[in-house]
Amino acid sequence: MAKMKIKAKAKGDIVKVKAMFTSLMADKEEAEKKKIKSEYITQIVGTHNGNVVFEVTTSGFMAENPLFKFQFKGGKKGEKLEFTTTDNNGKIETGKKKIK
Amino acid sequence: MDRRKFLGVGLAAFAALVAPVAELHAIDFRATKPKAWQAEKSAEAIKEMFGTAGLKKTDKIKFTAPKLAENGGSIPINIKSELDLETIAVFQDANPRSLTAVFTVPKNGIVNYDFRIKMRQTAFVTVVAKARDGVLYTMSQEIDVSIGGCGG
Repeated sequence: MAKMKIKAKAKGDIVKVKAMFTSLMADKEEAEKKKIKSEYITQIVGTHNGNVVFEVTTSGFMAENPLFKFQFKGGKKGEKLEFTTTDNNGKIETGKKKIK
Repeated sequence: MDRRKFLGVGLAAFAALVAPVAELHAIDFRATKPKAWQAEKSAEAIKEMFGTAGLKKTDKIKFTAPKLAENGGSIPINIKSELDLETIAVFQDANPRSLTAVFTVPKNGIVNYDFRIKMRQTAFVTVVAKARDGVLYTMSQEIDVSIGGCGG
């Protein structure tokens, strides 16, 4: 089970988010070298109240356990933030966190 | 009563139509630009991703990365800009394939992203950003990677 660590803090109108996703981020070559199955996140989508606030398509050249920091406008304390990640094997993970 | 029912059905259908749109907003660049992810060199990948339009150098996009990275496995990068950008793509020449990440900036979004990438050797990292008016901006920086990952 992949885990997600999400921290979101509202400051005025702006919400600062730190999100860490668990993945080996091993591309084809690296997986061969380590003799493991290739595994990396291909897409991360963050939503707030049904609106996409963060979106990235990634490859295996992001660092292991990718950490992202970003900000968005219009979030309030107590509201929920949701993340969905998809990896190259088609595995989908979701995570939720309340804004502090 | 029939008319009321009809209205209700219509509304429900409308809601069902509208609701998934927000979800579908997500663009999977792996599906739309499959060739860009296979390209080995930055120049090639940029062409596949954004076409052959001219790139404009700018200092309005702040791209912060260490000049010397001690650990090639985790290089922190920050991209910041006041411009109204739509797509931000990160390319590097150190790995077997060039394209590393593509950010889609939501409307009225704040462009301030921190993330970490892997690099096997010293190489140029290029950021190409597409503004909402279609202009392509570019920024690049060479990052020195200490081989083996031990700074010594």
